[in-house]
Amino acid sequence: MGQLDYINHLLILLCIYLILAQSFNFAFGLGGLFNLAHIAAYALGAYCTAILSTDYDKSFFYCLGVSAVIAAFFSLLLGAIAIRLSQEYFAVGTLAFSAIVSSFLINWKSLTHGVLGIPNIPRPVIGQIDFYQNSNFLALLVGLTALIMFLFYLLFYGRFARDLKAQAENPYATMAIGKSVSSIRNDAFIISSVFASIGGSIFSYYLNYIDPSSFTLAEMVFVMSIVVLGKPGSFWGTIWATTFLVLLPEPLRFVQINASILGPMRQLLYAVILFLVVYYKRATIFPQKREV
Amino acid sequence: MLKISNLQLSIGDTKILDDISLTVRPGEHVGIIGPNGSGKTTLFNCISGFLTPQSGKIIFCNKDLLKLAPHNRALHGVGRVFQNFGIFREMTVLENVVAAIETKKMSGIFPWSKSYQRHVSQAQEFLAEVGLGDKADKKAGTLSGGQMRLLEISRALAFGAEMFMLDEPTAGVSPKMKGEVESLLTKLSRLNKTVLIIEHDMNFIQRLCGRIIVMDTGKIILDDTPENVRINPQLQEIYFGTINNDAHNGNQKGQA
Ligand SMILES: Nc1ncnc2c1ncn2[C@@H]1O[C@H](COP(=O)(O)OP(=O)(O)OP(=O)(O)O)[C@@H](O)[C@H]1O
Ligand SMILES: [Mg+2]
Repeated sequence: MGQLDYINHLLILLCIYLILAQSFNFAFGLGGLFNLAHIAAYALGAYCTAILSTDYDKSFFYCLGVSAVIAAFFSLLLGAIAIRLSQEYFAVGTLAFSAIVSSFLINWKSLTHGVLGIPNIPRPVIGQIDFYQNSNFLALLVGLTALIMFLFYLLFYGRFARDLKAQAENPYATMAIGKSVSSIRNDAFIISSVFASIGGSIFSYYLNYIDPSSFTLAEMVFVMSIVVLGKPGSFWGTIWATTFLVLLPEPLRFVQINASILGPMRQLLYAVILFLVVYYKRATIFPQKREV
Repeated sequence: MLKISNLQLSIGDTKILDDISLTVRPGEHVGIIGPNGSGKTTLFNCISGFLTPQSGKIIFCNKDLLKLAPHNRALHGVGRVFQNFGIFREMTVLENVVAAIETKKMSGIFPWSKSYQRHVSQAQEFLAEVGLGDKADKKAGTLSGGQMRLLEISRALAFGAEMFMLDEPTAGVSPKMKGEVESLLTKLSRLNKTVLIIEHDMNFIQRLCGRIIVMDTGKIILDDTPENVRINPQLQEIYFGTINNDAHNGNQKGQA
């Protein structure tokens, strides 16, 4: 890999994780919605796009749009779980849900090709412009990521953030000022899952190949490390933490370490960071809950 | 007008509300007293919609409240101030009020929009009126008990509640701030709001309400003027200690 390619690669990863982490931060950080199926929405986006663009030759916007719509429907299931389960059990419920999605990815072979994954996902072509080159693809992605971050900026600093924070802290008081807690949560799940799905679509297009191993719990741990390190609910915190954690293991590449150790070392590194931050910052991370 | 008829609520085998019937005229201020665990908060929760009674009816301004979801009852004018503080501590004092004001508005998406600025200045006016103007940018959780009550009542006012259900508004409030809470509640009567106050401090409630309801074990056992309630022998029997103590010591209860 040439030096420029390497930098392009890092920047593309950075953009994908910015989208993935900010969308998780939105629901979890602001709303206290501990949705462990976030990676499942990401996987849905990636697989829908992979299938639509290979088997059906669909265009970039078509794939992104359909994937997003499917993720939105998926998120309504999360809303249904959230109504029935309190915070801790909601996390368990979504974890189980995520495991179901993983098992579909592995076992529904006619659709997903199981563990073999889906190869030959074409890079997008929009009008006359193709994005085969990483530099072009990066330009497209930077534009898209900037747009998505701007939308999140509005969400983080607008009324919806207040609604989300309100229901996280005191659902009864939230209802007492005329806000429907279940619609707030549903909207948050839809927004969060749709953007995770868009992140997944981009991921598919970038790698040209996906398999279930990219959508495991380890990935969820990584996203959680980002959000927790950047301080849940903080828009800018997630941006710097994504940058920091995506780049953090890179120096390891330049030390002479076997590639088979490098992968596990990264995962360990992220898990340790998550653990340390949760342990030392536990008081500030989880919003306090109140009862009527 | 609020009209509650034959409200029954049991949790498990225990009857918590037992055949409650009550009519409150618009603009009326009604005090609710009764020993701990007599079902006062539960009655409020049924009206707010956080608990669903097994039978009975609650009509408010010609609407059958039991058919409405809790947030829709609020939109219909049912306001609530919680016993254990219903403010959002993690938000700023200003955000607490802005969040209430913007519920009924379609704006507030863009932080720089005119409509949002208007909500902010409205909120600031509400806060200035209760002397919290200089606290606007503080986290609500840093306020004193009395200031939190003032904030929560102003928030309901800013939201546009027609009926205020206040659950022990002087609990956890210093004697000095009690006066401020009282004058804010007096203002509610000038605005012709309907007010229900659960309160243990008989002197406080007597200054605000022309009518007092006494609850015991899920029933309304008395419904009369404060003067008559005070001298009622039945009340002396059930409630004597609490009232006399409260008159001297202020409210000793924590925030249950
Ligand atoms: N969700 C619930 N589940 C079970 N029991 C409940 C529930 N809510 C209230 N109760 C019971 O109902 C009874 C009435 O409670 P409630 O909170 O209405 O009393 P209260 O009159 O407000 O008392 P206090 O003066 O202590 O606030 C109590 O015995 C309480 O234990
Ligand atoms: Mg009570």
